[in-house]
Amino acid sequence: MKRALTAALLVAVAALLLAAVAELPPHGSPDSPPYTHVSAYYLEHGPDEAGAENMVTNVILNYRGFDTQGEVTVIVTAMLAVLAVLLWTGQAEGDRPGPAPTATGSSLVVRFIVRVMAPFIAVFGIYVILHGHVTPGGGFQGGTMIGALVIALTLVLEDTRSAALLPRRPARLLQVAAPLTFFGVGVIGLVLWGEYLYYPRDPSSLWITELLLLVIEAGIGLGGAIVIATIFRVMGAQR
Amino acid sequence: MIDALWQNLDYAASVVLFCIGLYTVITRENLIKKFMGLNIMETAVFAFIVALGVVEGGDAPIAGSGATPPFINPLPQALILTGIVVAVSTTALALSLIIRIWRQCGTIEADELREVE
Repeated sequence: MKRALTAALLVAVAALLLAAVAELPPHGSPDSPPYTHVSAYYLEHGPDEAGAENMVTNVILNYRGFDTQGEVTVIVTAMLAVLAVLLWTGQAEGDRPGPAPTATGSSLVVRFIVRVMAPFIAVFGIYVILHGHVTPGGGFQGGTMIGALVIALTLVLEDTRSAALLPRRPARLLQVAAPLTFFGVGVIGLVLWGEYLYYPRDPSSLWITELLLLVIEAGIGLGGAIVIATIFRVMGAQR
Repeated sequence: MIDALWQNLDYAASVVLFCIGLYTVITRENLIKKFMGLNIMETAVFAFIVALGVVEGGDAPIAGSGATPPFINPLPQALILTGIVVAVSTTALALSLIIRIWRQCGTIEADELREVE
């Protein structure tokens, strides 16, 4: 009975969605609605007025900066919720994370490979963060790489040494780095030009815009990496 | 209808992926597997929206790298970057809730949890 209901539901959903999809403009046509409205403007004027050559970065940080500020706030909020769910025991000492997962599970090969790869992954992650405005990449992508590196190192190092990777006090401050940099850049715009998250648009002061975007990228990368590593550490400490 | 679907094969593929995710969510009792199904559904939506931005013969939307118009639409990519980050956040929160449920009830099978109350 349940199986028949499931099959009926799936067939209905699939039929409905496929019928809708068949009505859409042909895939890849330049006349499709998503391509002809604001996107055309972004593509035409983006490189000249928004500060970054990578137009995805322009859209994320400049044209739709408010959206991205909300987004980085969402990550931090999710991290806080994870901490609250996992660490809240109703007692005062529930405040501190337990020890990180131990290295006993990983083999010699894994340990060796991670140690050899670590500097290269770190350099690549930093490159992706700082070059996000001229090449594919950006704060979120690079931050994820750095966070994954911290996770990999946590898995292969001994408890004491992996705890030093993410010292608790600086980590607590850096967890909110992304929203704070956004807020700082927004306030700079407010003070200098009278609008929150304003970036200068004329070609002579475009370097200021580029610098501000770079600061935000760095903040997002750092904050994102720390948030991911923190979430992993707290989950890994659960037994 | 079949012709139109063939033309929009990318979209149809994400519909199939969506249904696979929905099937997983409905049929699996293990909460982690249920959430994996939800992640598959999210991925299907992301793939669909990014595919909306593709232009025939388009280059990556990066000026000054030797790429020439037509460019791929940057807007869906930017929106989906936001979506992916939110998906990661919800995944982290859901997994931590599942850990909590396991600690509290000793099981993460939805049918067993119904009896625990």
